[in-house]
Amino acid sequence: MATVARPRGATDLSPRPNVASANQQLPGVADYEQVDRDIGGSLTPTAGWFGALAVAIALFLWGAGTWTYQIYWGLGNAGYNPPVMWGVYIISFVFWVGIGHAGTLISAILYLFRAGFRTTIYRCAEAMTVFAVMTAGLFPIIHIGRPWKFFWLIPYPNWRLIWPNFKSPLVWDVFAISTYLTVSATFLYVGLVPDIAVLRDRATNPVRKRILAVMSLGWRNSEKEWRHFARMYLFLAAFSTPLVLSVHSVVSFDFAMAINPGWHTTIFPPYFVAGAIFSGIGMVFTIIIPIRKFFRLQHYVTINHLDAAAKLCLFTSLVVGCAYLVEFWVAWYSANQFEQKYFWNRVFGEWWWAAWIMLTCNMVFPLSLFSQRLRRNPGWLFILSIFINLGMWFERFVIIVPTLSHEFEPWQWAHYAPSWVDISILIGSFGWFFMWFLLFIKQLPVIAIAEVKEIVPPRLRSPHPHEDAIDVTGRHQAYEPDTPGEFD
Amino acid sequence: MTEPSGSAGVKRRDFLKVLGAAGAVTTSVGCFQEDVEKLIPYLVSPDDTVPGVSTYFATTCRECAAGCGLIAETRDGRAIKLEGNPAHPVNHGALCARGQASLQGLYNPDRYRHPMARRNGKLERITWDEGIRTLRERIAGLGAGAANAVFVNQHESGSFPAFLDQWLAGYGMPAHLSYDGEAPHAVMQANRQTYGAAWPALDFTAAKLIVAVGADFLEMWGASVPQQLSFADARAKLADAPRFVYIGPRRSLTGLNADEWLACKPGSELAIVNALAGKGDVAAAATAGGVDQAALQRLAGELAATKPSLVLSGVTTANALDVALAVNALNVAAGNVGVTIKPAEALTGFDRVGSPNDLRDAVQRMASGAVPIAMFRGVNPVYVLPKSLRVAEALAKVPFKVSFSPFPDETSELCDLILPDDHFLESWGDAESVRGTISLQQPAMDRVFDTRATADVLIGVTKGDPATANRIPVADYRSWLIGRFPGGAQAFGAALARGTAPGSPAQNATASRTVAAAPAPAPAPLEGQQGDFYFVAYPSPVLGDGRATNKPWLQELPDPVTKIAWQSWIEIHPTTAARLGIENGDHITVTTAAGSVNAPAYIFMGVRQDVVAMATGRGHTGYGRYAQNVGVNPLDALPVAHDASGGLALATVKARLTKTADHSPIISTEGSARQHARGIGRAVTVAELNGPEEEEVEHFAGDNKHDFLPGLRSPVANDAQGVLGNPKSKDKGMYDPEHWSGMAKRRWAMAIDLARCTGCSACVTACYAENNIPTVGAPWQGRSLRPFHSGDGNGWDTRPGANILKGREMQWIRIERYYEGGEDGSSDFDTRFVPMMCQHCGNAPCEPVCPVYATYHSPDGLNVQVYNRCVGTRYCSNGCPYKVRYFNWHGYGEPARRQYAFPEPLNWQLNPDVTVRGKGVMEKCSFCVQRIREAEHRAKLEGRELVADEFTTSCAQACPSRAITFGDAADEKWSVARLAEDRRAYHVFEELNTFTAVVYLKKVNHPAGGER
Amino acid sequence: MGIVAAFRELDATVDAIEDLKRQKISDVTVYTPTPRHEIEEAVSPPTSPVRRFTLIGGFCGACFGYWIAVWTSDYWPLVVGGKAIATWIPFTIIGFELMVLIGALATVAGMFINSRIPKITMTVGFDPRFTHGHYGIWVQEAPERARIVEETLRRHGAEDVRHED
Repeated sequence: MATVARPRGATDLSPRPNVASANQQLPGVADYEQVDRDIGGSLTPTAGWFGALAVAIALFLWGAGTWTYQIYWGLGNAGYNPPVMWGVYIISFVFWVGIGHAGTLISAILYLFRAGFRTTIYRCAEAMTVFAVMTAGLFPIIHIGRPWKFFWLIPYPNWRLIWPNFKSPLVWDVFAISTYLTVSATFLYVGLVPDIAVLRDRATNPVRKRILAVMSLGWRNSEKEWRHFARMYLFLAAFSTPLVLSVHSVVSFDFAMAINPGWHTTIFPPYFVAGAIFSGIGMVFTIIIPIRKFFRLQHYVTINHLDAAAKLCLFTSLVVGCAYLVEFWVAWYSANQFEQKYFWNRVFGEWWWAAWIMLTCNMVFPLSLFSQRLRRNPGWLFILSIFINLGMWFERFVIIVPTLSHEFEPWQWAHYAPSWVDISILIGSFGWFFMWFLLFIKQLPVIAIAEVKEIVPPRLRSPHPHEDAIDVTGRHQAYEPDTPGEFD
Repeated sequence: MTEPSGSAGVKRRDFLKVLGAAGAVTTSVGCFQEDVEKLIPYLVSPDDTVPGVSTYFATTCRECAAGCGLIAETRDGRAIKLEGNPAHPVNHGALCARGQASLQGLYNPDRYRHPMARRNGKLERITWDEGIRTLRERIAGLGAGAANAVFVNQHESGSFPAFLDQWLAGYGMPAHLSYDGEAPHAVMQANRQTYGAAWPALDFTAAKLIVAVGADFLEMWGASVPQQLSFADARAKLADAPRFVYIGPRRSLTGLNADEWLACKPGSELAIVNALAGKGDVAAAATAGGVDQAALQRLAGELAATKPSLVLSGVTTANALDVALAVNALNVAAGNVGVTIKPAEALTGFDRVGSPNDLRDAVQRMASGAVPIAMFRGVNPVYVLPKSLRVAEALAKVPFKVSFSPFPDETSELCDLILPDDHFLESWGDAESVRGTISLQQPAMDRVFDTRATADVLIGVTKGDPATANRIPVADYRSWLIGRFPGGAQAFGAALARGTAPGSPAQNATASRTVAAAPAPAPAPLEGQQGDFYFVAYPSPVLGDGRATNKPWLQELPDPVTKIAWQSWIEIHPTTAARLGIENGDHITVTTAAGSVNAPAYIFMGVRQDVVAMATGRGHTGYGRYAQNVGVNPLDALPVAHDASGGLALATVKARLTKTADHSPIISTEGSARQHARGIGRAVTVAELNGPEEEEVEHFAGDNKHDFLPGLRSPVANDAQGVLGNPKSKDKGMYDPEHWSGMAKRRWAMAIDLARCTGCSACVTACYAENNIPTVGAPWQGRSLRPFHSGDGNGWDTRPGANILKGREMQWIRIERYYEGGEDGSSDFDTRFVPMMCQHCGNAPCEPVCPVYATYHSPDGLNVQVYNRCVGTRYCSNGCPYKVRYFNWHGYGEPARRQYAFPEPLNWQLNPDVTVRGKGVMEKCSFCVQRIREAEHRAKLEGRELVADEFTTSCAQACPSRAITFGDAADEKWSVARLAEDRRAYHVFEELNTFTAVVYLKKVNHPAGGER
Repeated sequence: MGIVAAFRELDATVDAIEDLKRQKISDVTVYTPTPRHEIEEAVSPPTSPVRRFTLIGGFCGACFGYWIAVWTSDYWPLVVGGKAIATWIPFTIIGFELMVLIGALATVAGMFINSRIPKITMTVGFDPRFTHGHYGIWVQEAPERARIVEETLRRHGAEDVRHED
């Protein structure tokens, strides 16, 4: 909107206040009641929403049907070409798990860092996390040869006391992913409880009121509740922080623990975590920018917030790019012919196109974020985020397929091309993800009401230090009128 | 044996599988047919059959004329495995791929299931009585025409030809024609002239130099198994082994085993042989043959200097007989007769074989309408004779045609009366493979279908008419055999157990053909013809002249040279291909004076630049579901040309090449033909072998073998046994040698001698037979190409070999064929054949990654795969550096799926000791664990320890070059433990510290003049 | 009897709380639409005991994680890839994940227990405005002192004061 309001070139180049320096984060929000009105008001369904939901469900059903078909006829109908035994499904698994990392990063790590810009976007990111992990969790099951036996990976008590192999990275995955899903879902829900209480007390429809009353667990905003709530929130954040880092490290072990050239390397855990956060931020942009537009919430998710998030995106992009270059250097320095031949084949061999999609989308395009103007241009951020999603999917493709197709044994070198089955199920997974997300954003607040109220200046009776704006970091700041047009 | 119960209900387990995985949406799928099967095909079992225990019958293989001895293993009344008879003088226990696969002839789903007669244009079922009566009446009605009757029988040794001629004579019919499309007639005639024996025994071990002039003695040239045994033994002499030079326009499998290849033009062999014999001018010969004069000169000198040598001829040009005679003369002059060539111990399998010329003559008589009745048994003239002869049209002129063929081949489809013969595993017979030895053929099981042995049918014909009733005074052919068996019924019964007996089967006083056929038209001289390329057709090493093509194991078995399966190809030299802008798989049309043939190009260093070569055997228009419409037949482009001995000349035409627009990818199991200096197939030269042991060039930095070769124990086993590291290790259990099972005392291992291995691939088929491996290349087994379609085949990839194109072949053991050198397209390159199967690593990278312990390390050193536990994550395959794990992409074992690999009755062959793997599980070589346990249990029951080398795996058992040795490497009494200590021993990818249980012994090369 | 007061302004609420404390009126519950440091300072409560739940939960989780992995491996000792049967290093991952899982759930349980939720029924002394824009104070006091309390609350500018029994 900023771009719309201000003709190109006419931008005043005076340094803009950012989240940290703005003495008032949300000048467009007058008082607590307005928060309830604005955010509560965004929950009424619209025709466009119904349309989007219908499309999502259709895609999901197509994917589900294809999976059924694949189970009946066998995995042979997917594009696997031995020894490329892992394909689109594992690629998409890693892709979705990666997406799922932004949420907890934003809600937990940035919370510990007291990063102000998280307040208005973290609810969205958390919901995205939960649904992305739900999607990711499906892919290993879709991938295995006998999906009806997937529960054998879970250590459940059985009468012959046969247990899974705890040395296998796949079992680590089971633990990491399920823990991550549980914790982030809990995190999302407990964060929602006070907001549900708000909706409950604003609701007019008795049935809806009853449901919300149950969901809100009888939350009353009492100071005692808030006190324990704050503690719990702090510790959950403290737990989630190492969890986020561990989950994608464990996923990276799936590759690093195998001896294959291109996989068997120690930089994988940090490399994967950075990539995951990078892709997550990308997905957050893809989601939050349309929402703030269509829900008319530009005065909540301000350009300042996008600007700050874009800086995080740029940073992770630089880390990921560095990891790519280090990989090549390691391969060269290893003096290991398998490693060297593989990397050559990856970038200049048959897989050059995938490798270069990855490098441009993840290393080159995000460099544009060094420009403040582009950082503050939601349109550009949205386009870039699409490229980032694409690039990160291809990063996983480049990690998995070229390695398996070009390994130790030259006699077994092979090619790989997905079939209609792989593609359909990938598309179906997007349908599944957006189905849940769309359902969420119209039932529950996509912006944390209670936390937004924290950064809205309270009503005061008399002039008093308290009249100063208090941002979420708790710092008192003298009141000044904010730069006009800073938000829109 | 199978009646579908017709219940289209949802089977509970499949329902839950699908439901459990994909939720309620999936209940729409899953309509299955219940199959009701008889476990044991009879109610009261014979005395010699115990359910679950194998019975063994000694018999004789009739797939080719060699007549190898077989041991047929039957379980519950069904033959399940064929192995060579160790006591047999020809094959000494070895067996080739075709011999293994004859089981799939027995259980072929396309076999004629009952006699049939043509009624108003259609073949309809009849009873045997009707069939025999019809035949008798037809013959009775011949009158004087009987003299023109034609009976074409597959060439076979033994009593039957004589019996047949006797029967024919009784009706005033001329003696039968015997035909063998693979017999090298020129060589045999030359041998008869020179040595007085059609096929003297060849002793390669005695030779110091072997020169093969187009003689593919490891393939279709003569009796491949005994020749291979002898050749491998010769090569196993390492430093003292004979050097082997191959001369010919194409480097065949035999040629790839040679140390040097002289790529000469077809037709120039005579000049070269004369030059070698010192009778001709070397320079002129070199020019004529287009070979390097220096090399030829050197070889001539070498041949003169080295005694004894062994020179073999196998050219298929029009002057084949002259070449063969020249070669024989060379051998005589060199004094090789009696030393390397032993007429005294001749193989008699080829004696009295009729020549293609006779058959051509017969066909022409048919075309002239002179033949009132034609009978065919085991011969398929419509396919095996060049199209230009127009056999089908000739047959149309014959009023009555009878086929005794068990399969619906191109010829029998045109016949009026089908009296399907028994398979040799169902019927009685005998053969004379070696002079003075009767090799008996006995039924191993009851008939699969309502067929009947031809001999018994012929007897039935005589019995039906009082006039001829006592012409053959016995009830059936078996009693006839016993009647003339030396020593009678008692000796016969005794001999059956061994399979062989001294003596000679019945023979006709006269040779099978009394009237000589009209001489063949002299083929046009090669050099005079139009065309830039010599067109060379050769019999496929696997499919022969095409009679083996209807067996899925052999269609799936990659050609040992090109590694192509389920496809025909045209071999063309890289330089030529580059010049004509031809890529692998581009279709090219070869046009000769006689016709043309179109097939994808395969770029191959092993042909001359001016030669295009093509294998016979594919391109059937009938012959059952596995043979039909797979590939093309090079004979379509061949003229009817015979050499002086009447043999069909396969290299007599020049051809023009035209590149066409189509492209079909080469269906090959080959990834990269170069090993990129990764030391997979290693070789040493004699010089290095004799020299001091030094770190060989191809060896990597990495762990040296002394750490683990003794006993090949993995560090785990050692740790568990307290040998190294932590003696107080708790990680013992059954890995403790003191454990009651004592398993940890053993380490099953395998040694593979690359100096012996010839790449013939018999082991691959043996593995298919032993381990119920599905074939995946049939046209209906492909994957789906279009979304939800009806199951009627549209939308599926129905190209033959579509799955192999996606790398989904299931070869637990595969033969990797790597080239060294020759990058510049020169003829000077070395070939390494590396049999590759699960290496049963001590530290297996595949094991720890499995989330459900579906694969783990057994205490006796096996890398175990538990099919029932496998959920199919395929992580193990990613971990495996050797890529020897194979995945069930489709329901190859589910009759309800289009990919079902064992259509009734092929499933009768399945080994009851081995699971048929389900959809979605990983599988791999198990070191034939079922054989290991069987042997251990046998020993336990007999209250003894295992005897060293008392059993072996299926691949090792079949191997005709004895390259594979299996056993317990932890016990020095086993020969594998000794071989593991050999200085040639190495492990593939040692530097990965996988501590494999498979030891490879380096190939030994014999470069010219010992240089290089 | 209980007295519920609703305040529009933050500072008024804080003053009222401090005044009530001066009058030694103990049973005071404060409602606030969003946690404010001012109110927390005014109430100056003891530290929340939730952290203990976290500690215990996390510890149990870690122990269980190691135990299940080691015990199952030793129960069915299969050697894979030449590794020891019970391998501590990889089992750390199981231990860690279970520490996080059980620790986090224990923390949430701690919050529920300490703040006495879930409450199925809305108890007395609550007003929907407290989740909207208003601050609230609920005092439970003997009837004879109720007047003083009400008067105090009104003096500090309560928008309205309600009695509840």
